[in-house]
Formats: sequence, structure tokens, C-alpha cells
Amino acid sequence: MRKYWAIAKTYTKTQLVWRADVIFNMIFTISRILFAYLLWGILFQGKETVGMFTFHGILSYYIVNSFLSQLEMSDGISGEIHYRIRNGTFSKYMVIPAGIELYFMAMELGVVLFYLVFDFIAAVVWIFVFRIQFVFVTEWSVIACAVIMAVLGMVFMVQLNYFLGLLTLKYQGIGTFLMIKNNLVSLITGSIIPLALFPENVVRILRLLPFYYVTYLPSMLLTGMCRDEMLEGVAVIACWCVVIQLVIRGTQKKYFKTYDGVGI
Amino acid sequence: MRKEDRNMNNTIINTDNLVKTYRRYKKQEGIRGSIASLLKRTYEEKVAVNHISLSVQAGEFVGLIGPNGAGKTTLIKMLTGIIAPTAGTIDVMGYYPNDLKNEFKKQYAVVMGQKSQLFFELTVNDTLRLFKEIYEISETDFQANKNYFVKLFGVEDLMDVQVRTMSLGERMKMELIVALLHNPRILFLDEPTIGLDAIAAKQIRSFLKEINEEKGTTILLTSHYIEDIKTLCRRTVVINHGTKIYDGATDELFDRYQRNKKIIVTYDSPTDYTVQQTKQVDVVMDEPYKKIYETPKENARHLFSELMAHEPKDIVVEEEEIGIVVERIYQETGIDENGGIA
Repeated sequence: MRKYWAIAKTYTKTQLVWRADVIFNMIFTISRILFAYLLWGILFQGKETVGMFTFHGILSYYIVNSFLSQLEMSDGISGEIHYRIRNGTFSKYMVIPAGIELYFMAMELGVVLFYLVFDFIAAVVWIFVFRIQFVFVTEWSVIACAVIMAVLGMVFMVQLNYFLGLLTLKYQGIGTFLMIKNNLVSLITGSIIPLALFPENVVRILRLLPFYYVTYLPSMLLTGMCRDEMLEGVAVIACWCVVIQLVIRGTQKKYFKTYDGVGI
Repeated sequence: MRKEDRNMNNTIINTDNLVKTYRRYKKQEGIRGSIASLLKRTYEEKVAVNHISLSVQAGEFVGLIGPNGAGKTTLIKMLTGIIAPTAGTIDVMGYYPNDLKNEFKKQYAVVMGQKSQLFFELTVNDTLRLFKEIYEISETDFQANKNYFVKLFGVEDLMDVQVRTMSLGERMKMELIVALLHNPRILFLDEPTIGLDAIAAKQIRSFLKEINEEKGTTILLTSHYIEDIKTLCRRTVVINHGTKIYDGATDELFDRYQRNKKIIVTYDSPTDYTVQQTKQVDVVMDEPYKKIYETPKENARHLFSELMAHEPKDIVVEEEEIGIVVERIYQETGIDENGGIA
């Protein structure tokens, strides 16, 4: 595992080079919170609660969700794989004695570790700036479940992006797949609107999908809601990780042989 | 030669009737062609490597030459496992390369002139640290190897500099250090001197020679530069249209097929003097300040003396390009189905 830890550290180091990226990433965490503050400020006028949320509860949700969403940066993986396969330079990852998928996971970890610190600082700053009475669960079992779920969710997203990147071997162009994934992610991860405000039948369907467990449910759990879904949630996202891993294995076996490394 | 290579069967690379066929998409020009190709796509098959049998002994320095599209890089890609062969057998250090086993990948290194393993944002020291872990090199070996190569390449001052700020020549040296850090048994080099100036290319050649001699690393080198091949490789394999057309001693190859010399003469003032075009001398360029002649190498000395008598500013003697040599071999031996010299 030392080699993967070294890969993660290397990518943390590469992040530290670009100072503007760090600053702007921190600043942009505000956009979602500001949007929520303005929108929900209007909706909560004259009301104590909307759905199951209090005003400060929903702002707490947005802060946690925004924090987790900022950490989910696996999007670049599919782009990197797609670019390298199309340009014949994917061999960079094939010739080193490290698992390619694990390499990308370690790469993601390195980036996440870096942003974890800065996004955490940003989240704390916004809590003070907006004078939010931050709602956060205090039960360790719930926190542990939420963290495990969020980690598995991020692993799943890395796997999914890795898989979509590999589809370049078959289809050459993966723009449509990425568009579908991005739309699903932005809707079902609850980063725009908390899914608890959707009709119950819709939520029931969404609960079958992995995206529900990437940032939405961990955010709800950490802000003290949906406690009864936590164990089931960990189980569902773990199953999705296993399923997609099997799909990746099959895809690699079938399509790695078709890689022709053209362009070099 | 390494101890383990001496003790074992000396063949480190072995291919038999290796074939690689690419499938490529074709379309007619223009927007109509593009629309038609959306509905019905046509493909053609291109044989990049055609029944190549090759055997390389441990410790050898083998040159792989041929024109663009000859199949050199495809062969290297198959030997390193990057792509799978379409047919034939392949054995590199006892492995089938395309299985992409980590144990196999730990034993070779590949440097491709147009690709990089370096992290451009970081320093070389950072990349070396990463590769130490990836190749599971002990701290002692890491320090010893790093010091050896840093000294050999004379890059002490560059180890803490961001890679993206380095020149092409400096970067190539760093690529080689990264590639050699784990003491690979085989080093595959694909155009390592491409784009380098004469001094940097000469330095790289001298390092490669030392690595081959001192460390016993088997090296397979592709290059378009005759100088690379002549200086480094005792044995040369010539490939054209995916077929091996020569496999033997480098000296013999150039003695037999590099028949002419190009002599470039420049003058301080305009001169009317031009050597007469004969069977022995071909006047390629005739301008007042500059003349270019091509002559059989046996006649080069005679022509040189004649030109010297007319007080030139400078005389440069150039070897024939690889492309011409390959073309000549192909013309004379291309009908040989076995790929050997007729």
C-alpha cells in the first residue's frame, strides 16, 4: 500500500503548486450556501419549518453537502483517461508496476486530502459569516456511518468515472455518458435541493441509486436527519461499489486488449 | 552483463512470427463523407508488424531502425505489453508482456521521446521519491542509484527545480534517471534524442553507452538518427512496412548499404568553380556561395582533396540518411521472404 500512499502524497504536492486554484475553490464554496441562504430565507418567511427542515437546519445541510461535494473531484478521472486513450498516451499508467484503477484512487485521495483541509476551513468561516446555528449530530455511531458512507460514495464515484473513461476503448467518444452522469449526479446528490423535499415515491426510487449515498444521505445524517436509513445506506452503497468493480474488471479484460496506443 | 542474466539462458527477448494489425476508420473527404460515415462506417486493416521473429541476448544494445510507420514503435509497444499482438508468440524475460504483471513491469523501463513520466509541476526529486515507492526500491539502493545517475548525467543543480521549467535536453536526462532508478534489466528507448541539439544528443548517447557497459542493461533503441545507431549499437534490426529486412552487425549494414557521402562546401566569396557532374559525382546544389555534392564513399577522399584546393570557407561531410539506406536494403533484399539479406 505504500506505493499508493506515495501516489496520493505526490498528487497532494501537485495541488499545492497552484495557489489560485486553492483560493478560488474556497471562495466558491460560498455560492451554494449564499444561494441557499437567499432562497430559503424567502421560503421560511413566517414559517418555522419547511418539510422536516428548520431554517438553520437547511443551511447546516447546505454547508455539509457543499463541503462533501467540493471533495468529490473524481470527474477529472474520466476526462484524463479519455484524453490519454484517444491520444495514445494511456501507456503512462500501463508500464508502471501499480494497479491502474488503484493509481487513480490514490490520485483522487491525494487531491481530496488537500482540499479537505481548505474546504473545512471555508465551511467553518461561512458558519460564522452567516451566523448559522449549526446543526450537527453528536452520536458517534451516526457520524461513523455517515463518514463510511461518504468514503464509499467517493470510491464509487472514482470507480464510475474510471469505468466511463475506459468506455473510450470501445466508443472513442464518451461525452454523452458524461453528460448523463453529470445530470444524474447534480440532481440525485441533493446538492441543488434536498431530496427529502421530493415526493416519497420518487425518493424511494432514488434510494436505489448510488448517487443518493454520495453526498446527500451523509449530509442528512450529519445534520441529524434520516437516522433510520444509515445502515441500509452503507449496505446499498457498498453493494454498488462491488457491482461496479465487477463491471470494471470485465471491461478491462475485454477492452484493454483493443488499446492500440495510436498517436505516439 | 548481470549475474542473473549470465546464469540463465541468455535470451531475454524472443518473438516468433509476431503480427500486429490495426483496424482503422476511413472516410471520404468533405461533409458528405462525414455524414455518410456516420451511417455506414468503413474500416481497413493495416499490418503494422508482419511476422517478425527476433531474439535479443541479455546485455545487447540493439538498434531498431526504419522509416516512419515502419512498425518500430508498435514492436516496442508489444514488447512492453502496452498493446497485445494479433498473432505470433512473444516472450520477454519469461513473461507474456500484455498480461501486464507488476513483476514483469518492475524489470524493464521504457522511455519514449514524446511522452513523459515526470510530473511537470513538481521537481525531479519528488518524482524519484514516488518511483522509489512504486518500484519498491530500498532506501539504500535508491540513494546509491540516484547518486550514480545524478553524477553521471551532471544534473545535481536541477534536482530541486520544477520540471516544466527545464529544457528538452534536461528533461530527457531526467526521464532516463527516472527510468533507470530501479535498475531495469531491459531499457526500451523510442527516439530518445528526438528534438535534442547535437550536444545534448551526444551526452545522452554517452550515458546510454555507459549504462549498457557498466550496468549490463539490455537496451533496445529506435532512432532516426544514424549517429545514435552507429555510436551505440553493435547490432541493428531494420524494419520496413512491418517486416524485418535486416538483422545483423551495424558496421556491416552501413558498409554495405550506406554507399554515398554528401559533401557540403561553403565559400566566403561567390565562386564559379563547380566539380563536374560525372558518374562518380552528383551535383545536388550549385549556388555561388554553396555547393552540395554526393559521391560514393570510396571517392569522397579524392573529391575532398579537390575541393580543398579551392579555398573553401567550410566543408561538411554528411552520411546518407537512414531512409535512403532502408530504401536501398529494401530494393535489394525486399523480395527475400525470410527478411534476411539476399
